[in-house]
Amino acid sequence: MTATIESLSHVEVERRTTAPAPPREIAVRVRDLVKVYRDGTEANRGISLEVLQGEVVAIVGPNGAGKTTFLRQLTTELRPTTGSVSVFGVDAVAEPERARRAMGITPQEAGVFERLTVHEHFELFARLKHLSKRKAREAAREVIAELGLTAQTNKSVGALSGGQRRRILIGLALLGRPPLLVLDEPTTGLDPSSRRAVWGVIRRAVAVGATVILSTHYMEEAERLSDRIGVIADGRLIAFGTLDELLAQVDRSYRLSYRDRIDPLSDLKIRYFASFAQAQQHIARELLSEYSIARASLEDVYFTLTGEAFEKEETGAIG
Amino acid sequence: MTRFTDIICVFRIQLAGTRREVGPFLLAAFVFPAAMYLFASAVAGAEVAPPQSRLRFLAGSIVFSLSLTSISWLGYLLLENRFTGRLKLFATLPLAPSSYVFGVLLFAVAQAAVSTTTLLVVGRALGVKVRPNFPLLIVAIVLTILCLCGLGVVVAARARSFSQGSLLTDTLGAGLIFLAPVFYAPEMMPSAVRAFAQLLPTTFAARAVQTALAGGPGIGNDLLVLSLMAVATLALGFRLMKWRED
Repeated sequence: MTATIESLSHVEVERRTTAPAPPREIAVRVRDLVKVYRDGTEANRGISLEVLQGEVVAIVGPNGAGKTTFLRQLTTELRPTTGSVSVFGVDAVAEPERARRAMGITPQEAGVFERLTVHEHFELFARLKHLSKRKAREAAREVIAELGLTAQTNKSVGALSGGQRRRILIGLALLGRPPLLVLDEPTTGLDPSSRRAVWGVIRRAVAVGATVILSTHYMEEAERLSDRIGVIADGRLIAFGTLDELLAQVDRSYRLSYRDRIDPLSDLKIRYFASFAQAQQHIARELLSEYSIARASLEDVYFTLTGEAFEKEETGAIG
Repeated sequence: MTRFTDIICVFRIQLAGTRREVGPFLLAAFVFPAAMYLFASAVAGAEVAPPQSRLRFLAGSIVFSLSLTSISWLGYLLLENRFTGRLKLFATLPLAPSSYVFGVLLFAVAQAAVSTTTLLVVGRALGVKVRPNFPLLIVAIVLTILCLCGLGVVVAARARSFSQGSLLTDTLGAGLIFLAPVFYAPEMMPSAVRAFAQLLPTTFAARAVQTALAGGPGIGNDLLVLSLMAVATLALGFRLMKWRED
């Protein structure tokens, strides 16, 4: 029997309101996703993950690692060789059109219709998302304002800058407020202020309940925007979790940058430690005088996990 | 209803795309076929060409214009959408690939209506005696468009690159006209080509349009063949035009 809110005692109401939020539903479930192209290339090799409703998940990885292949399978553009994808309980492999109804998608490379005006572009695509005429017009206006394109409303899309066109592609995904946004490198090619504007758009979509899966090459973007991060390398999901979980996984929570005591003119040296205390012990043991300790970043984790050469010029204050 | 809205929206998107090119479009739709009419008339001897031949030249010019619209330009449009990534944009929507194709077909029909009307007006102005049976003419034209568009869709869906597809549609658009008895009588063709021409939709289209322009019935067989060819090419086109890659 379900009690109504009026029938509950104050204590019960208080307990219920302070109790932890109920577990979120799974928005996307991917199981053992494998994609082998006709030429034999294994682009995805058994990727499995679950994305919760309202979560932002960033997928990072080197070029050619299989990120876009993964997202294209998720958005039903590419048929998996084996494995399953479920979007809000809909089997996206068996019912791609139905699954797409729940998605707003920004492909990595897509063309816009240059001769349409900005408003026409949004309105017609909103209609194609099955919004009524009135709602399509409203949605177009809303998205244009949100993307900061109001001044360009009646301009041809062909007259816009590259960054503005990219924003149009993101806006098309937002039309109709789909519960799942899949954005393949949404900010590639944008200047820093446009990138931040897009981050704002994504955050606002999440605030009203959207789930977001995005791929990016910008570690800062993944770190700032996402709740969890997936690292794909060589077609495999080699790590998936919050930043703290990833840091714990590689045992590299702190980064010590220091100048060699014997050869002070040499390049900065970098070492990672699982704890702050361990880093301090190392400083004491090596009698370092020029050093800085920082919390390790996603970039540190990324290079460790993907095994890429860590070639980074270190500059800045030395403690 | 949703499907109808989808088709209209795709049509509107394509239409808006040509809005600033109306002048060049009308010029191209008119100049090529009209030039072919004048060329054929000149070769046949303008003064001595019998009215029947002039009617054939006009029907041929209309079929030529349909071939240009349905294969060359429509193919170009589909190829452009595919290779500039616009098709990807459609593929992100809950839109059936067939709705996309029908939207583009509708656009081709609208283009064909403009060019055919223009040619009919010009033909009359040049003294060609026509007594069009409009219902039959419209059916013949629509079936021709569907049939040729199907070919355009097949090429656009299978081409490996924009330039390859573009070459193929241009070759097909012109080849179907000049290898079929469109501007001349079948008897004037070498026998091998004549046999081959019996496989081409333009052979039936030219005969159907010419007869419909002369006001006569008796094009049932041609319309039937065109219908079967349209079903076959469109079925193949729909099969190949899909959002999802394997």
